Amino acid sequence: MNMSLVGRGVQSVNAPVRQLAQLLLNRDGPYAQAFENLILALIVFSLVSVGLETLPGLPAWTTRVLKVGEIAVVAVFSLEYLLRIVAAQRKLAFIFSFYGLVDLLAIAPFYLAGLDVRYLRALRVLRVLRVLKLQRRVLENTVAERTHELAERNRALMHAQAQLTAELDTARALQIAILPSKFPARSGCVGAARMVPASTMGGDFYDFIELPDGQVGLVMADVSGKGVPAAFFMAVARTNLRELAMHHAEPASCLARTNDVLCTQNPMELFVSVFYCIFDPATGALRYANGGHNPPYVRRADGSIEVLSGAGGLVLGAMPGVEYQNHTVQLGAGDRLVLYTDGVTEAFNHVDEAYGEERLIAEIQAHGDGSAEALVERICHSVTIFSGTVPQSDDITLTVLTWHPANSGEVPLAGLQMPIAPAARQ
Amino acid sequence: MKVRFESLSLATMVIPEGRLDYGAAAGFQAQVEQLLAGGGTKPAGVIIDCAGLDYVSSAGLRVFLLAARASQRAGLSFAVCALKPAVREVFDLSGFSRIIAVYADRAAALADTPLGSA
Repeated sequence: MNMSLVGRGVQSVNAPVRQLAQLLLNRDGPYAQAFENLILALIVFSLVSVGLETLPGLPAWTTRVLKVGEIAVVAVFSLEYLLRIVAAQRKLAFIFSFYGLVDLLAIAPFYLAGLDVRYLRALRVLRVLRVLKLQRRVLENTVAERTHELAERNRALMHAQAQLTAELDTARALQIAILPSKFPARSGCVGAARMVPASTMGGDFYDFIELPDGQVGLVMADVSGKGVPAAFFMAVARTNLRELAMHHAEPASCLARTNDVLCTQNPMELFVSVFYCIFDPATGALRYANGGHNPPYVRRADGSIEVLSGAGGLVLGAMPGVEYQNHTVQLGAGDRLVLYTDGVTEAFNHVDEAYGEERLIAEIQAHGDGSAEALVERICHSVTIFSGTVPQSDDITLTVLTWHPANSGEVPLAGLQMPIAPAARQ
Repeated sequence: MKVRFESLSLATMVIPEGRLDYGAAAGFQAQVEQLLAGGGTKPAGVIIDCAGLDYVSSAGLRVFLLAARASQRAGLSFAVCALKPAVREVFDLSGFSRIIAVYADRAAALADTPLGSA
């Protein structure tokens, strides 16, 4: 009880002194600069006076002025020394630090001289050591300048970083925006797609192309690598493929021509895996060619799964003059075509296990009876649950096509046309 | 991912170990480029021994393509060998096994390496 009272008493005496220390010593304090200048002036004054005192035949008034001046100097230096002790977090450490000792030496001779006059001259010479007080000023100023420069540079860096992030966000938004948001209106077939971009800009894309004679082209593609180069190459690949699809009736020749064009526009030596198919809603025939992409699945109406054969064609952009193979598969009423990129099967969980093809097939088998949109949604959800908190390292892209021929008696689940919004990443 | 190099009389063996994903690709590419740019007495070929390679992403695959091209420019033969099933699948799916020589093991790759002029 008593102790705390005493403690509070000390505190109350201490507080104004601390406040004074703040005002005079803290670099940002209002009187710090003035106090600093005063100390500097006094150091210079005392150094000059040490020199003057050694001159012989000094007039008496000069000696008096110097003596009064010395008292003032010591008074201010003593005040500074005490304030520094008060302000120091670890007081003993300050007292025995280099500058603590310098401050003490700067005032000690005055007090000691009062005790024994015999050492007066020797102690006076010690006042020359006050020049060391200057060193602290120089050092502190240098540190302050560097700190300021660093802060400036940090600010500039953060500004540049923010600008870059904003531009990358815009680029990513553009990348998503160029993907089709609607499946072409075609009798009996419905398509749904989703691209969930990874945090690093990736190069996945899908496309739906309205072809002559009521046919529709579907594309699923994955550019090697990530970042801005991959995004650019993705845009170039998509534009070329879309353009060339109009002039090539066969998927294989379309891929071969696209490959040749890409090989001439490929300074970064990237490549892209492309699955391209042409679906005829009138007959259910699906003609396709595969340039190095994961083979898609067909889920038959009875729930069985088929892997589309004919994988192993070379990725596009790697080498000109490559041939691709045409393949055909017949879709029946209620069948589903599932296209995906390896962002789905190579999504990893916290024990570094990949989502894999088995899980994907199981999802397609179990949930393939609903709409195309529902199946896309279902698979994305399953991958998200599987990955948990592990950050998504690659784009996840999916397309599902369902077909219900006009004479099959089955009604398309969501009309002829279904809006498909590419998902924004959370 | 770790990479070791082994100089044999016929070929320089490049031995990557671990996972060659997007994060590891740039480093691996730099090491292979450094090897191919290095002067002195070059062996006749470069063989990437994939016995310790567990996974290759598409970005990793690109390094193989760049290495094959650079080897060709330098007049060296280029081959890969000892692919684990998962890596072999990536090579087959992407069509890379059509344009890059793939061997079952190191001995087979070395047996097929032409005697260089260097």
